[in-house]
Amino acid sequence: MVPMARPDAVRADRYTREELARYDAIIQRYARHVYNIAYRMAGNEADARDLSQEAFLRVFRALRRVEPDAPLESWLHRIVSNLYIDLLRKRPRARVESLDAPMETPRGEMVREFPDIESSPEAIIEREQLDGAIQRALGTLSADLRLVVVLSDIEGLAYEEIATILHVPLGTVKSRLHRARQMLQQRLRPYMEARRRGWDG
Amino acid sequence: MKMNHHRVGQLLSAYLDGELLPREGAAVQEHLLECRRCREEYERLRTTKGLLGELPLAEPPAEFWRVVRAPEAAAAPPRRISWRVPLLLRPAWAVAAVIVILALALIPLVKGTVDRLHAAEIGVDLYVREHALQMSTEPLPDRAYLGVVTGDADLVLVGGSTHRDEGAP
Repeated sequence: MVPMARPDAVRADRYTREELARYDAIIQRYARHVYNIAYRMAGNEADARDLSQEAFLRVFRALRRVEPDAPLESWLHRIVSNLYIDLLRKRPRARVESLDAPMETPRGEMVREFPDIESSPEAIIEREQLDGAIQRALGTLSADLRLVVVLSDIEGLAYEEIATILHVPLGTVKSRLHRARQMLQQRLRPYMEARRRGWDG
Repeated sequence: MKMNHHRVGQLLSAYLDGELLPREGAAVQEHLLECRRCREEYERLRTTKGLLGELPLAEPPAEFWRVVRAPEAAAAPPRRISWRVPLLLRPAWAVAAVIVILALALIPLVKGTVDRLHAAEIGVDLYVREHALQMSTEPLPDRAYLGVVTGDADLVLVGGSTHRDEGAP
């Protein structure tokens, strides 16, 4: 990782070397994670980048107020969830872009073309197809359901934590998560059956 | 504790997550032993949860790392200020524009009215005569005169008398 004392990076007069090292450690530890949540929620790279970058800008600005041993994880979860909710408020029509949906172009709809991954082992292709299918299925959920299921099943948070992050009652988390899983389960059924056959065989 | 099929169906996710009270959990478990449909549903939910949990971490693009590692540089000049400043200044610009437009519209209006009041004071015919001289040299800038000529009902009378005056010598 690039050291934080790069001249173009941060103004060294504002934060001490130790503080910058701490920020660096936070990035090391959480950046991928935070980006991943943002990506699974937003469903596209541009929004995921904006959300996660903004989350870290906030961490950076608040660095001095953060206690060294404070559990940052749930704070970061809260930041990125709230940023996503804000994004949806600003752009209520924002839709999750799915890669195999036809693109709208001035000359009508076009289907994206992807290079064939001929050299890859079959298992990897299958896994990628499955991941794409899961992300698309997530994209069809309403934002409320998606947030809960991302925090629970992708991030592995407990109901209590999710309730705190989203400011909703525990019962709401419970029912939303159940609905979200039921919907995902219906949409992913063909993949799940294929998988089960794979296991059996 | 005995639970009906429908109630168990609603609790399957929470059961799967170990988020039920012990007695609720025991009741669901009891029901699952007897009900094949609920067992299958439970299995599907479990597989769904498993699939989501196995999703690989999305790989952040290089741009993300650049910004996150140098947050101050990204937060500082061009990007933020470029959209924040116009946003702050927009009302100010609007007010300034309105003032300019009002001034442009009002100045001739006020000046014209003042001149016309003046004309009414000294008598329209005298005024017209006084300005007729100026009109011959600089016709366009004398808006007050034009106003009187085009707008005043008295002018017909006045014009008649001027015409007669002009005709006399």
